[in-house]
Amino acid sequence: MCCIYAAPSATAQVPGADQVQAVTLANGMQIIIWPDRDIPNIALFNWVHVGSRNEVPGITGLAHFFEHMMFNGTTTRPQGEFDRVLEANGARNNAFTSNDVTVYQDWLPRAALAAVFEVEADRLRNLAFDPKVIESERGVVHSERRLRVEDSFVGRLQEQVQATAFLAHPYQIPTIGWPSDIASWRIEDLKTFFATNYAPNNCTLILVGDIEPKSAIALAKQYFESIPAHSPPDPIRTQEPKQEGERRVNISAEAQTPLVQFAYHGLSGADPRQPALELMTRILTDGDASRLHRVLVEEQKLAISADSYVDRGFDPGLAWFLLTLPAGGDAKKAETAFDLEIERLRDSGVTAQELARARSQALADFWRGLATIDGKAEALGQYAVLQGGYERLFDMPRAYESVTVEDIRKLATDLLRSTNRTVGVLTAATTATAQGEGR
Amino acid sequence: MKTFVATLLLLCSACVSAAGNGVKVPPFERVQLGNGAVVLLMERHDVPLIAFSAVLRGGAVSDPTGESGVASLLAGVLQKGAGTRDAVQFAETVASVGGQIDTAASTESISLSGSFLARDQQLMVELLADMLQRPRLDQAQFDTLRARQIEFIRAAKESDLAALTPIYGEAQLLAGHPYGRPVDGSEASLAAIKHDDLQQYYQQHVGADRLIIAVAGDFKTSQLKQRISRAFSGWRKAGTQLAPVPKVERVASRRVLLVDAPDSVQSYFWAGNVAVAKNDPRRPALEVTNTLFGGRFTSMLNTELRIRTGLSYGASSHFDRLLQTGHWALASFTQTETTIQALDLALATLDKLHESGLDPTMVDSGKSYVQGQFPLALETAAQWAAQLATLEFYGLDRRYVDDYSAQLGAVTPADAKKVIDEVFPPSTALSIVVVGNASAIREGLRKYGPITEMKLADPTFEPNK
Repeated sequence: MCCIYAAPSATAQVPGADQVQAVTLANGMQIIIWPDRDIPNIALFNWVHVGSRNEVPGITGLAHFFEHMMFNGTTTRPQGEFDRVLEANGARNNAFTSNDVTVYQDWLPRAALAAVFEVEADRLRNLAFDPKVIESERGVVHSERRLRVEDSFVGRLQEQVQATAFLAHPYQIPTIGWPSDIASWRIEDLKTFFATNYAPNNCTLILVGDIEPKSAIALAKQYFESIPAHSPPDPIRTQEPKQEGERRVNISAEAQTPLVQFAYHGLSGADPRQPALELMTRILTDGDASRLHRVLVEEQKLAISADSYVDRGFDPGLAWFLLTLPAGGDAKKAETAFDLEIERLRDSGVTAQELARARSQALADFWRGLATIDGKAEALGQYAVLQGGYERLFDMPRAYESVTVEDIRKLATDLLRSTNRTVGVLTAATTATAQGEGR
Repeated sequence: MKTFVATLLLLCSACVSAAGNGVKVPPFERVQLGNGAVVLLMERHDVPLIAFSAVLRGGAVSDPTGESGVASLLAGVLQKGAGTRDAVQFAETVASVGGQIDTAASTESISLSGSFLARDQQLMVELLADMLQRPRLDQAQFDTLRARQIEFIRAAKESDLAALTPIYGEAQLLAGHPYGRPVDGSEASLAAIKHDDLQQYYQQHVGADRLIIAVAGDFKTSQLKQRISRAFSGWRKAGTQLAPVPKVERVASRRVLLVDAPDSVQSYFWAGNVAVAKNDPRRPALEVTNTLFGGRFTSMLNTELRIRTGLSYGASSHFDRLLQTGHWALASFTQTETTIQALDLALATLDKLHESGLDPTMVDSGKSYVQGQFPLALETAAQWAAQLATLEFYGLDRRYVDDYSAQLGAVTPADAKKVIDEVFPPSTALSIVVVGNASAIREGLRKYGPITEMKLADPTFEPNK
């Protein structure tokens, strides 16, 4: 019955893709523009190629700290002025930091573009390092860490699993930073980090919305081109050595709700197998018809949710599977049931019908993502910076089409091995000893 | 309000970015079927998707007393098998075409929303009609979902206290009133719900006369109108009339609910009072004023609690505006040791709003901000479907959207002063909730008013009477 709908044919051309323009300014800053005039607004995302991957012991969390400091004043504008200017011009802003990048996002009415360029350029050129502001912002980051890690069992376990999964590569560093480093960064550390990483030649500026490319490029030149280029940051040379055996983290906590997390070493963002990995994880966890949801949540009721998340960064990251158990649930049983499903995937692969379903889901989500200027700016930047060039975004419908059942089976065999993973278990203090799984 | 529109556009051209930023409702068609169901159709051809938003009047206000969560569970069970498909077949059918369906309850409605590729519009209508008219309401699915919903609350108590705090807040502020019910239930209320309750709710509160279906996207109106009419015109009405919601009184003094979370390293606080309904004509001034007080990054509240003092990662305030009335609240969190300092600062900032009002520069900035941002909420087919359903649900017309930018442009500092006096509660009249380590903060909290205590582990969101 569903086969009627399963035949995926629509790999339509992305409307407006032919209007995308990319330029590189004389100082190395890359600018990519995609006009879309549905609403009178523009999404401006500045992708700075720096994340926790660029940190070392002593300065962990610094990339994320800059995400905060970039709003805290320049030598020409006091703290708060950046936000005041944007908001008075009808614009909102935010930012996020990952292992790989720090992204500054502004959503503005079209008439505010020059005003926004001016303050964006100012903070790249003239960031201030006021000791009092730094101390206050340290407190904010501590509060964010308490919210996301200390007061969240999910966050606590995930931090430990990630740090355990990598022996050598800086992906082991939690993006929020270790508490002792948050407490002790020095102003010199900040200045060095800024000079190294916040150069225009280390930025990709994405502009999507009600915009005329030619005049926007002229305006960008006016504001950004005179910011001097720096020598680029050192490449990350360390490659994670091949994992020799399964690793485990066992946390016992005053928790009612046990958690089990699996982190497999996966692929880099530009790896051509990314579409196959996406379809494989969709078959396992996307929606009520997915394998892990159906078996662990619906049928055996060993978990209340089964989710996945795949890193798509500069270097090979992790493919995560996250189980939340019911209160008093049996982590051991949930792990065994998960292992059986992974074994089944490795041994028997997936059916053509499952693959067709995952493709349809991926294709529809692709279109959902491109329905907003925000989604377009996110996708363009992700592909331009981390996934081998923005043009690959427009090739995704075809890329999903070309994934075969055999590609997925091979990927499962290559990646989903117990010797390639770290397992994290968080259980109630009283039952943790019975689990007996130390590192 | 509408009378100023003509002058306003002139005023707006003076503010940097506001002029020309207004969003107008694109053309759409409204049809009412003989059984009362309202159908709203808006064509949007930018991407090959169709989005729908189906809303049933009722929601948590129609839950039986003591059984909060029935509407929410029903919403969940609607997509667990309907028509000829059991739960697994239903999920597989949706996934196989890349469709997406979300069902949820809110205080006064149940909503089913989702999107499909344009080529699957016939299937979309079939699934929607099945969920509403022929849900299986299977006992085993109900049991599973109920058990899982209880577990989700337990999990949130361990990983997401910021999300739970407003539920305690509303339960205390609106105690005994249907608007104060926890929409998704509490551990105790969910445990009390039986499969029969679900069926009874479905009979009494689900039917064509309660239904609004809004669809936006890549379709032809004439064709889709015919499909939806054919699928829905034979449906029955709901078994009962919607009961009127009683009036709610504002709290006149200050009181504190302390929820003991002994392992928490932070305190999460919420302070609010009864405010205004969705159709309140003071909306532009309220929105501008709240934006400036606690609705954006440089708001007075976030400036004090985050930017200036570093006490918190964030502080904000918001309105929840419903059919009869609604509430306003501020919320933030801080480490246990600075609980009183942060709460004092939040209340002092509210005092400052009342004492000093908002100067013209601030008001201009707030107007530009709301004008500049509201188009971003009206960009996609899904957003337009939801907006059309909202206008119909609250009895508002297109001027609610079309005139909004101009109305915002007309807001004066005097308008802001007026709504501060009339709507924003003084710091002496607040229902306060603090979730945190009680032994460390109890004494400090006494100065705010009489304290009622409960434990985070308690299975309800309100203390035992």
